[in-house]
Amino acid sequence: MNLKKIGILLTLSGLFLTACTNDDDVSIPLGAYDNGVLILNQGNFGGGNSSISFWSNDFSTFEFNAFSSVNPSVTLGDTAQDLGFYGDKAYIVVNLSNTIQVVNRYTLEHLTTISTGLSNPRYIAFANGNAYVTNWGDASNAEDDYVAVINLTSNSVTSFIPVTEGPERILEHDDKLFIAHMGGYGFGNSISVIQANNNSVSSIEVGDVPNSMALVNNDLYVLCGGKPSWAEPETSGSLVKINLSTNTVTAALPFLLGNHPSNLIFHDNKFYYTVDSNVFSKTIEANTIPSTPIFSTTAQGVYGVYSFAIANNKIFVGDATDYNSNGKVYIYSLTGTLENQETVGVIPGGFYFN
Amino acid sequence: MTWKNLYCCLAFLLYSFSWGQNDSIIRLNEVIVSDSQLKNFSKSQTVTILNDSILNKNQGSLTSLLSTNSTIYFKENGAGMVSSASFRGTTAQQTAVIWNGININSQLNGQTDFNTINPTDFTNISIRPGGGSVIYGSGAIGGSIHLNSELKFNTATSHLFRLNYGSFETYGSNYQLEIGKEKWAVQASISANSSKNDYEYIGYDKKNENGEFTNQSYNFSVGHKINDTNFIKFYSFLFNGERHFSGTITVNSDDKYLDFNTRNMLEWILFKNKYTSKVKAAYITEEYKYYENRNSDNHTFGQVNSLFLRHDFIYSISESITINTLLDFTQSDAKGSDLLTETRTIGTGSILWKHKLSTKLNYELGIRQEVTDTYESPLLFSAGTLFEVNGFYKIKANLSKNFRIPTFNDLYWQGSGNTDLNPEHSLQGEIGNELNYKNSKFVLTGFIIQLKDMIRWIPTSNGLWQPENTQSVSNYGLEIQFETKKSIDKHLFSFTSGYGYTVSVNNQTEKQLTYVPNHKANTNLAYNYKSFTTYYQWVYTGEVFTSSDNFYKLDDYALSNIGIDYNFSKKKTYLLGFQVLNLTNERYQNVISRPMPGRNFKLYLTLNL
Repeated sequence: MNLKKIGILLTLSGLFLTACTNDDDVSIPLGAYDNGVLILNQGNFGGGNSSISFWSNDFSTFEFNAFSSVNPSVTLGDTAQDLGFYGDKAYIVVNLSNTIQVVNRYTLEHLTTISTGLSNPRYIAFANGNAYVTNWGDASNAEDDYVAVINLTSNSVTSFIPVTEGPERILEHDDKLFIAHMGGYGFGNSISVIQANNNSVSSIEVGDVPNSMALVNNDLYVLCGGKPSWAEPETSGSLVKINLSTNTVTAALPFLLGNHPSNLIFHDNKFYYTVDSNVFSKTIEANTIPSTPIFSTTAQGVYGVYSFAIANNKIFVGDATDYNSNGKVYIYSLTGTLENQETVGVIPGGFYFN
Repeated sequence: MTWKNLYCCLAFLLYSFSWGQNDSIIRLNEVIVSDSQLKNFSKSQTVTILNDSILNKNQGSLTSLLSTNSTIYFKENGAGMVSSASFRGTTAQQTAVIWNGININSQLNGQTDFNTINPTDFTNISIRPGGGSVIYGSGAIGGSIHLNSELKFNTATSHLFRLNYGSFETYGSNYQLEIGKEKWAVQASISANSSKNDYEYIGYDKKNENGEFTNQSYNFSVGHKINDTNFIKFYSFLFNGERHFSGTITVNSDDKYLDFNTRNMLEWILFKNKYTSKVKAAYITEEYKYYENRNSDNHTFGQVNSLFLRHDFIYSISESITINTLLDFTQSDAKGSDLLTETRTIGTGSILWKHKLSTKLNYELGIRQEVTDTYESPLLFSAGTLFEVNGFYKIKANLSKNFRIPTFNDLYWQGSGNTDLNPEHSLQGEIGNELNYKNSKFVLTGFIIQLKDMIRWIPTSNGLWQPENTQSVSNYGLEIQFETKKSIDKHLFSFTSGYGYTVSVNNQTEKQLTYVPNHKANTNLAYNYKSFTTYYQWVYTGEVFTSSDNFYKLDDYALSNIGIDYNFSKKKTYLLGFQVLNLTNERYQNVISRPMPGRNFKLYLTLNL
């Protein structure tokens, strides 16, 4: 895998660097699901039908329900939220089931299930031989949110790090973990920083509702969606830059009121993000937020971009349709030409590139 | 608080018990119901009454009673959990539940949870398929379910005790009192149910954890004849329930849900030669509390208090023509943790007309208009006829326009509510053929419903979910009912059976709506010899789609129950019975990922003193 891909992996949900760096020279596939994308489908909330679809990098091979075909006797779970690669394993965070399913990332063969110490788990990242998993606890309780530290040898939760309400996306850099607090049922406006060596926590205030992060050199860019129209008051979205040497905010670029951006990705020296059904890009140098999108997904009938990724110079858009039926994945060129599409499981929530 | 209420009620019942003992004179029975339109303005439709003997054999929830004895389909989130009806392929909000003549569907979500009503609290439960909004208001599209408390004057006092105990530590108890004096009549009932509900998920090596429930309810009705022309009645109904919401195959649950509903109604009736005037005032409260974690005090809630006033005026123009006007006023105050605090006021006027053209031909007409500042309400109508071709063949036809109004959740849910919503409305018709021959009855009904502006919660481009008047739906189908009785010496056989074929299609996508089976059938067979009765019940539910693209579905299933009971008394009822439910241990799911109980048992005792 090349560095571009790694950048995407990081921006998506804090995937681990070292796992991928040795793969550059590998030409023999390590399993049926190497050299392609795992599409994690959440399934219906309460329906217990989370699934993984697989699409090869050359789009020649597609498998609708890859996890089930490999593991016919294992139920993936209810509302699969995130997937993280570490070594030759993939860790699938299953929100409603309060579990993490551990599988071989290339064969999807089920290895084990981590089922204690998690409460409303959301996203996963790795550092120091441990996994760090954000947990909401009871969504209605703002005081019980935490990051679970999982020893990857014993696959057990070894410590609970209390954090402020609604920890969502998590990203690792330089043995630190950066956690965006979207706020759960409320509205968050901070990034927690955990030192992996001693699990100490500090906090950086950013804009309202930080929903995605991208790492560029020694800066962390945080895309804040702003409070929605019904929040009273509605607030503007912003793109916030944090210097990671000092952990301070060095710039914040506001969006127009009423625009609520999400899905930040850094790719080939540009930021990509979405607002409603539109895909935008912005150079790192530009001091203003662009007013016109590169393209819109409305022609495909996408109700807002549910999941978003860039790999191999293609833009991947996941559409949850009516959140009840099978979802759609659309592949666009970087300029927005629709090149491919496929029907996937219910609510495609994330793309993970093998 | 609730228990205090129940104890007060119980104390009153015991007092009435001693009072009732002195009743020695039995005069002519006279039965008074509050829902007079069900009898008088429903002739062009087929009303089915579920009486005591059916209630005896179905001592569970209203869900299991109706599912076993009608073609109504229920979607139940696991046994005992939230249950909603689909009547003729309509949605949960398109079935109205009528308590003594007034609509008690939730103002919050527009539907009734059929596991929050204990059917044994009522003297009878009637099913009225088809449009009824002109009389019963919002939601009477697929049909309506009527919970009736009959007041009987001049009758012997009766005490009915029902007790049952079943698998999964399920207990049920009910006491019903009826007093009928010359000037006073009382019908009262108190019920308590509980279950651990920890049945095994067949084939999953897992139990239904966190599924326990407990509830208490009472229903109290009293009528007093002040004089020959003035009559006063009071009805009261309370339900208090606590349920832990069970998990699914893949998810354990810590949820807890509390319901507390009260309905009180005072009615004054003035009888004159040509007319009857009824003034009703009802106060209805509903409240839920939802605990995500039952061990925590954190919860969300919703609460609506409604005042309902009605003037119901019935005038006999001639022997064959009756006109009935209804003037309603409803004011509802809602508040909740996720709801904007709002008040809604609705005024309604209806005119019903009934004309008996000849001994063979009747027709009924009705119109209704609502006035409110919350939404634009359409003019509703109904027109129906009953033609008695001969002694054993009747034809019924009915055409109506009905509606379902937006609920408080639809309008005022924080962040999602849409105040631009209008009612969904239907144009629908049905034709029924009824054949009666000796002890047998056969009814064949065809229906069609065209529903427009259906309110659906859909994702918008900015990721919010909002309700919109978006869909149009076509429903059509057939219903067959057959019942017969046969006696040979002292051997009595009875057989009732129903079948419903239902198509419910989204007109845009041409897909069947989710959780609407094409086929549903039920059969009840009973055999009685002297004091001994045995019966068999069979319910078939066809496959349903669980996703709107009709890609995912749940398999069809057939459930069988058998029961046997014996009456130990010749004159009264001392009935002891035993049931095997889900006899074949059918493995089935009614809602995706929520297995239902396998074979289970119930012992019941009914005493009528």
